[in-house]
Amino acid sequence: MKKFNLAVIASLLVLTVSPMMYSLNANAADKETVNTVATLRDHTPINVQKEPNAIPQVINKDIKQGRNYPMQPPVIPHTTRSYEVNKNNNKCMSCHSRHRTEKSQAPMVSVTHYMDRDGNFLADVSPRRYFCNQCHVTQLDAEPLVENTFTDMHSLMKKKAVTSEKH
Amino acid sequence: MTINRREFIKANAIAAAAAVAGVSVPAVASNLITSSDITKLKWDKAPCRFCGTGCSVNVGVMDGKVVATHGDIKSPVNKGLNCVKGYFLSKIMYGKDRLTTPLLRMTDGKYDKEGEFTPISWDQAFNVMAEKAKDALKKDGPEALGMFGSGQWTVQEGYAAVKLMKAGFRTNNIDPNARHCMASAVGGFMRTFGIDEPMGCYDDLEAADAFVLWGSNMAEMHPILWTRLTDRRLSAPHVKVAVLSTFEHRSFDLADNGMIFTPQTDLAILNFIANYIIKTDRVNKDFVSKHTNFRLGETDIGYGLRPEHPLEQAAKNNGKTAGSSTPIDFDEYAKFVSTYTVEYVAKLSGVPEHKLEALAELYADPKIKVTSFWTMGFNQHTRGVWANNLVYNIHLLTGKISTPGNSPFSLTGQPSACGTAREVGTFSHRLPADMVVKNPKHRAIAEKIWDLPEGTVPPKPGYHAALQNRMLKDGKLNFYWVQCNNNMQAAANINEEGYPGYRNPKNFIVVSDPYPTVTAQAADLILPTAMWVEKEGVYGNAERRTQSWYQMVEAPTGAKSDLWQLVEFSKRFKVEDVWPEELIAKKPEVRGKTLFDVLYKDSSVGKFSLDEVPEDRLNDDARDFGFYIQKGLFEEYATFGRGHAHDLAPYDRYHKERGLRWPVVNGKETKWRFKEGSDPYVKPGSGWDFYGKKDGRAIIFALPYEPAAESPDEEYDLWLSTGRVLEHWHSGSMTQRVPELYKAMPDALVYMHPDDAKKRGMRRGDLVKLISRRGEVQTRVETRGRNKPPIGLVFMPWFDASRLVNKVTLDATDPLSKQTDFKKCAIKIVKV
Amino acid sequence: MKNIFLIGWRTLTKPSGYYSLGALVIGGFIAGIIFWGGFNTALEVTNTEAFCISCHEMENNVYEEMKTTIHFSNRSGVRATCPDCHVPHKWTDKIARKMQASKEVWGMIFGTINTREKFLVHRKRLAQNEWDRLKANDSLECRNCHNFDYMDFTEQSERASYQHSTALAAGEKTCIDCHKGIAHQLPDMKGVEGW
Repeated sequence: MKKFNLAVIASLLVLTVSPMMYSLNANAADKETVNTVATLRDHTPINVQKEPNAIPQVINKDIKQGRNYPMQPPVIPHTTRSYEVNKNNNKCMSCHSRHRTEKSQAPMVSVTHYMDRDGNFLADVSPRRYFCNQCHVTQLDAEPLVENTFTDMHSLMKKKAVTSEKH
Repeated sequence: MTINRREFIKANAIAAAAAVAGVSVPAVASNLITSSDITKLKWDKAPCRFCGTGCSVNVGVMDGKVVATHGDIKSPVNKGLNCVKGYFLSKIMYGKDRLTTPLLRMTDGKYDKEGEFTPISWDQAFNVMAEKAKDALKKDGPEALGMFGSGQWTVQEGYAAVKLMKAGFRTNNIDPNARHCMASAVGGFMRTFGIDEPMGCYDDLEAADAFVLWGSNMAEMHPILWTRLTDRRLSAPHVKVAVLSTFEHRSFDLADNGMIFTPQTDLAILNFIANYIIKTDRVNKDFVSKHTNFRLGETDIGYGLRPEHPLEQAAKNNGKTAGSSTPIDFDEYAKFVSTYTVEYVAKLSGVPEHKLEALAELYADPKIKVTSFWTMGFNQHTRGVWANNLVYNIHLLTGKISTPGNSPFSLTGQPSACGTAREVGTFSHRLPADMVVKNPKHRAIAEKIWDLPEGTVPPKPGYHAALQNRMLKDGKLNFYWVQCNNNMQAAANINEEGYPGYRNPKNFIVVSDPYPTVTAQAADLILPTAMWVEKEGVYGNAERRTQSWYQMVEAPTGAKSDLWQLVEFSKRFKVEDVWPEELIAKKPEVRGKTLFDVLYKDSSVGKFSLDEVPEDRLNDDARDFGFYIQKGLFEEYATFGRGHAHDLAPYDRYHKERGLRWPVVNGKETKWRFKEGSDPYVKPGSGWDFYGKKDGRAIIFALPYEPAAESPDEEYDLWLSTGRVLEHWHSGSMTQRVPELYKAMPDALVYMHPDDAKKRGMRRGDLVKLISRRGEVQTRVETRGRNKPPIGLVFMPWFDASRLVNKVTLDATDPLSKQTDFKKCAIKIVKV
Repeated sequence: MKNIFLIGWRTLTKPSGYYSLGALVIGGFIAGIIFWGGFNTALEVTNTEAFCISCHEMENNVYEEMKTTIHFSNRSGVRATCPDCHVPHKWTDKIARKMQASKEVWGMIFGTINTREKFLVHRKRLAQNEWDRLKANDSLECRNCHNFDYMDFTEQSERASYQHSTALAAGEKTCIDCHKGIAHQLPDMKGVEGW
């Protein structure tokens, strides 16, 4: 009986794995035969379509992400579903405005946001900065299709510092 | 002591960072702030690479790499701001799949249409290109050659391309992707005013009392102009914002009067407003009598499809007369629009009567300064030129035009749609400075400036964008070069009209791009291309502002600018290869010369020496050709417009300014055209002068509502509108390679009303197929995204290379502008 | 007129001449059940979402807005309907609320908010009513489902767990203080605490 069970399990395994193996092989073969320039299409020919992946989740971990350079607007590390920013109210400001940050412990919007077009400081956030989502975006849990080789200036500076120390 | 979770995480993160720093950072690097020689960045200005707003950005370079960008505080356009795309410009050049070598489809070392992309040298690439071009020329003449260019070309690149195609190869088969974007606006301007581009400028944003958005989602597509509009609306409480669209989007967040209308009925709404102005006796009679004429336009003009299409067979006036019109008087016009009553239009459009009246009142009330903005909602419309004409009607009836805050303002989608596509005239029917190939006088002017014999420029307009795809499919266009755009992804009806032409064995397709795009994938030869600040150039934005930039970094080894490619390619042709003997006979000294000599080096393009290139500046193109080619091209091009209301400043000045708005006369830019006091071309004493027309009068057109080319029916029961999103620019070939932008908006979803989803047994996230009569595309359902369509309409953006919504769209165009309507077709949606 | 009234009064006050006391009591009891049952059934009918959105004011405004929110569509499919949040569960409160609702019926008949624009004009006041009610009863209708004692903070985002474990736990804040606009769009929030 035990042997029989094992046999059943083994055959089931073979049955489930073999199509997987087959499809893996097929994919690899496809990548070789279709042209390899379709980097954003996962090497799919134009007249066919790869099955679209599921909608990714918004990353909601509240962990600050590093910035590529000082002037980069920080990305939003939490969900903003149903956050209204319209002419009636600005949900973001109920945590990120100067007088709310003590309670919320959220980062305050930077001082540039208090400046008008001519660089004068205003008492509150400038209306030109009103729609937060024009610069600040949430991040979805999706793996970029193509790597980016942008160089952080800090790594260049570090290199130079090392060389200048050697001289 | 209690420590909360947030503090705990923070403390740990610092500890972790310190641990990493302790291991890898040498002591001296830990205080870089004190060593200014190491931290120094080289900053320079450049216009943003993306939309037609034309923000100026500061680009920070270190060790030959762009390491930072930010909004230019000195630019009057954006005053230090950028949108999220603009802030990430630093990363667009650094996608890992940048192309660095020409790739040719080959089998066993030889070109093969069905072969694999194989790396070859530039020399080999030009050899095969020249061979294919010469074959096509020999077999079918210049009409077998074509080029699809771009409103993202620099002014110089566009100009070099026009010269090469129209004078060198003597074909007008050159068109820009701006055909998909601005052609209807151009048609509207030319028809109403006789001269292209907006009369107003962005200063209107701080002067208007009311803004009306007609088919424009500025909040996402022109974010920096939206910040200026928001600033105005929230700083001045009397200001009102009206937003019209076929679905609710982010611009509705600021709307005092948001209106969702049934697709195509904008035409009726515009006529209702005119009727309202007349019925409530608020026509500015003095203005209308002095500065306008009335004309009745031709109707039933078809839908710009192939002639055998049933819709074209049914249309009465889709031939040469489609754009014609006959003079009428005010009373006839008033009678014409009188049928557009509020009751009729409310029923037709689905917009409640009181909302329509509130909208009309913004235009009618003489005390309200009103600015209308529009983009693709008007332009990508089978009656796009009409829509443009009709919005000018209501500004002209009230005299609300060309003064601060009173402005009908067509916004552009590309960084140089105005500068390159329109002003340079890279269209199949155009020449620089609003001239057209059909007009013998215009051709003569071009030939004189180019110092070429009479008869060089062919008189017949070439194939426009949609027609190019059709002619490729039909095998009439056999050598085709695509630069600076991604038309396989961007053009409508990929299955029937796009892909078959590129893969037609009779054709040889060349695609120049920094990245392997969908279009590159469909090509036979791919040329690796330098982009943005890897070259020097000039862009022109939507408010007539011309802006220049220097080359700041080297392109990746192997990648060359579009300009270099065009000009270098011209060296492969002797005049005898391309011109008939009788033309050469008119100017025998060109015999034996190459097109490079005749069009560039020995013409006025070649007259600026390398000494004029600042020594501390990069300029790979100029140094390669041995003369300051960008300046030469610009100055020769500028002679077309100087003295003809298109005056540009001397080239060098643009390097010092944050752009200047043409016409630049006596060193001064022009803010509002056609108005005495602000436009030097206006006749003194006239008040307003629409000098594009001989009698100085703009035209108010009587044009009706006509239905869309395709509307939902029982089987295909939904409207499909396509468009863009904030995070990606156009086809996403740059922005999809920036991880932060990709992760903000990775995939194109279909936005639908929750009830529409429920009715079809669907929910958010379901895998579905959008099916039209032409093809299908799969994607996922979004029922609670930023776009909220009404029941009966869905929206899907087109930036996603892996979900090609243009397999579904219809290639119907405005018969006048030849611009495709990407906003309306009928589809059904089924679960996969 | 006066006579009719008098006859009626006498009939009610005079002892019955026809029916036995038992029959009257039992009959009264049954009638009572039927009446009470009918009343309650009718009352419960008014406590369904279908009833709420039978008025287009509700369907086109607040209900339409709700469709995209977390209280309509979410991971587990536990959905809040209108009465879950807007009708008190305790009988006396419920009746009190129903009496108030007569004003809403009045509003419907006279079209006080029969267009979106009119609705938006009144929105601040209408929202304030609900916020006041929820503030006064410590967000009772929220807590009918979201019971503080059974919240697993480790399953919440960091921001949420921080606020819930401090301000909410200490009773300084109640749900509605932070979650205004959770199911419907907000009015102009000028002057509202926390905005």
